[in-house]
Amino acid sequence: MDPHRPSSSSERPTAEAILATAERWRQQLAGDVHEQVVEGLYRQAARVADRAVSRPDRAAMPTIDRRIDRLVTSRVWGFPIMLLLFGAMFWLTISGANVPSTLLASLLVDTVHPGLKGVFNSLGAPGWLTGLVVDGMYLATAWVVSVMLPPMAIFFPLLTLLEDFGYLPRIAFNLDRLFKQAGAHGKQAMTTMMGFGCNAAGVLAARIIDSPRERLLAILTNNFALCNGRWPTQFLIATVFVGTLAPAPLAGLVSSAAVTSVALLGVFMTLAVGWALSRTVLRGEVSTFSLELPPYRPPRVWQALYTSLIDRTLFVLWRAVVFALPAGAVIWLSANVHIGGESLATHCVRFLDPIGFLIGLNGVILFAYVIAIPANEIVIPTILMLTVMMTGSQGIGEGAGVLFKLDSNRAIGQLLTAGGWTVLTGVNLMLFSLLHNPCSTTLYTIYKETGSGKWTLVAAALPLALGFIVTFLVASLWRMM
Amino acid sequence: MLWAVPYEFSIGLGLLFMAILLWPRHGLAARWRQGQELARRMRREDALKHILKCEANGRVATLDSIAGVLQITTGAAARLLEELEAGALVTFESGRLRLRSAGRELGLHIVRAHRLWESYLAEQTGVAEGEWHHRAERQEHLLTPQEADTLAARLGHPTRDPHGDAIPKANGALEGEQGRTLNSVDPDTAVVITHIEDEPDTVYRQLMATGLRPGMRAFVIDKSPTRIRFWADGNEHVLAPVLAENVSIDLLPDFRTEELIEEEFLSGLQPGVPTRVIGLSPACRGPERRRLLDLGFVPGTRVEVEMVSPGGDPTAYRVRGTVVALRREQANLIRVSSRDVPDR
Repeated sequence: MDPHRPSSSSERPTAEAILATAERWRQQLAGDVHEQVVEGLYRQAARVADRAVSRPDRAAMPTIDRRIDRLVTSRVWGFPIMLLLFGAMFWLTISGANVPSTLLASLLVDTVHPGLKGVFNSLGAPGWLTGLVVDGMYLATAWVVSVMLPPMAIFFPLLTLLEDFGYLPRIAFNLDRLFKQAGAHGKQAMTTMMGFGCNAAGVLAARIIDSPRERLLAILTNNFALCNGRWPTQFLIATVFVGTLAPAPLAGLVSSAAVTSVALLGVFMTLAVGWALSRTVLRGEVSTFSLELPPYRPPRVWQALYTSLIDRTLFVLWRAVVFALPAGAVIWLSANVHIGGESLATHCVRFLDPIGFLIGLNGVILFAYVIAIPANEIVIPTILMLTVMMTGSQGIGEGAGVLFKLDSNRAIGQLLTAGGWTVLTGVNLMLFSLLHNPCSTTLYTIYKETGSGKWTLVAAALPLALGFIVTFLVASLWRMM
Repeated sequence: MLWAVPYEFSIGLGLLFMAILLWPRHGLAARWRQGQELARRMRREDALKHILKCEANGRVATLDSIAGVLQITTGAAARLLEELEAGALVTFESGRLRLRSAGRELGLHIVRAHRLWESYLAEQTGVAEGEWHHRAERQEHLLTPQEADTLAARLGHPTRDPHGDAIPKANGALEGEQGRTLNSVDPDTAVVITHIEDEPDTVYRQLMATGLRPGMRAFVIDKSPTRIRFWADGNEHVLAPVLAENVSIDLLPDFRTEELIEEEFLSGLQPGVPTRVIGLSPACRGPERRRLLDLGFVPGTRVEVEMVSPGGDPTAYRVRGTVVALRREQANLIRVSSRDVPDR
């Protein structure tokens, strides 16, 4: 009988007979079926490859790849090269983003904003509508776009180029020892770096970690990487409050050192929290390890640009904009809805003031962090607006609920000092900016990636709790001295 | 007047508390009752499991042995047996405790569910090894026979659990435990470990910490009344006889101990020396094992060290034209041999 043709219906065996046969054969198989299949596949593939592929002699093989690998993973040069590359990347991002950010702000905030206002007024829209839509929703979104887009549009293409070249896996390889001690995966080095650009993108990047436990760890601790949205806050506060403590020639150096220490504290927190989590709540979760080191390739520049802009920059920006619109409305409303003669924002700030004092901050800062949750970028404008409102300063800002910027650091310093700020407030704001809940964009991404409200809550509560503890300790020590 | 709460509010609050406490099925009181009922059922089923295991191994379960295993008083054990007898699950024949068919069926299901769940945890989830037994102890009471069958099908009808215990068929019989233990072997005889006892917990944890797994090859180096020194998969171990009693073995008549000692592992490989994969250690299971296989660490494959991380760990290996970094723990799970290394 031809074995390839189905037998006729009269000879067709019953389901039970087939199952019995399968069971009998299964008993005869020694070991794991999956394993035998894989081994068979490799045997077959090797046979085909040996017949079809001719390889040049081995001498041609130890190529540039190997030489680069020797260099970038060497004991002497591995870490300096890494630090140099990333230092350069941050420098390019921070200094390069300044110009386009100013341009975008002058276009969206200084030109389009008054223009839109004019359009609304000429249409005879009521004042509250103009305020809510133009001063609230539009302005907050314009701020987010103008401060968020340029650094991301520089940082992510650079990172994607390094990734495309094949260098990033080598970093994971170099740093794995460190992350292993924290119970994490070496690839977390890559997601942390991505987090320096944007935490939402860093959380998204945690997909490269294929073992669930380490992936969750990378997602939960990504927020400790100081993202692009927080660097400007750090630099501003360090310049205004920390740099001024030092003699003028050293001011720049001192404030840079302060920012770097905060960023390093973030890296330390990533490892420390990872260590603690993997020994407590994440102990029983799944854990495996392997790390492929692909060959080096000349980066495909246009493709890298395209994917980094579409997949990372615009994707994250879109999510931020979606959250910025309602937040802008809330910011404007909180400053313009009055109960008992005072605005909602005033009530909230008064309520939060005692808590703020306890941790060396103030009600304005805490309230700003609540309503500016869509993006860390609009925290400083919100703080400035609220401070003007609370102090009743004349001639600064654009009115209640309207975000604005001040061009000189001196003016910012004067305004904040009038708002009761001290060096302690500045230092603790820098710490709190590192250690607080992720922005709503990141939280939403965490929810999407983990599919769990519980882990999202942990991701929000954990850094916030740490922030309260650290700032409280610093404030207590400061006041004792 | 901060505390002048309107009384409608107090009534509302009172009603809310009552609802939280007394709500049918989801209220705290109902939850507590459900928890108590589950705990009672678990005790009954654990007692049946114990009696069944005793039967399968030719021992007789007694009131004291049940009290000991369940960690309850003899009085509580007696009440438990009364419950089982009333439920037509067990019977006393001339003073000897015996299972009735319904009791045997239920006990068998519990054992089967336990071992299937352990296999599931080991093969498909990658949950840490120390958690398997503990989690299965609970899950065995929650799986229905249908769910156990589905699970068995999904796992490809495994015949042994990760500790080497036989998984009984849905309506089959429970296999007794194997006779020979590591205690009974003469020095310099090659054996293979077939089973690691997973009860009681303290014994299991100590055995697990040694890294011994079913499927490892071993031989005893020397014995004294207080300790057994033996070799297993590249390492020397020392166990007290009371622990070694819990390691079951089979003889390997075709192997000489010298051959076992010569086994090498990938973690010991020096740069510049190619080697050949013999296989993966039995200690490597589940997603970890599948991942290593998929990466190409299958028998007969040539592997060499490509580079070592500046920290000393992990190490990158060249395997089938790709470079893969493994940590020392993983490399320790791959058996290699420096003999008959293929050219490429």
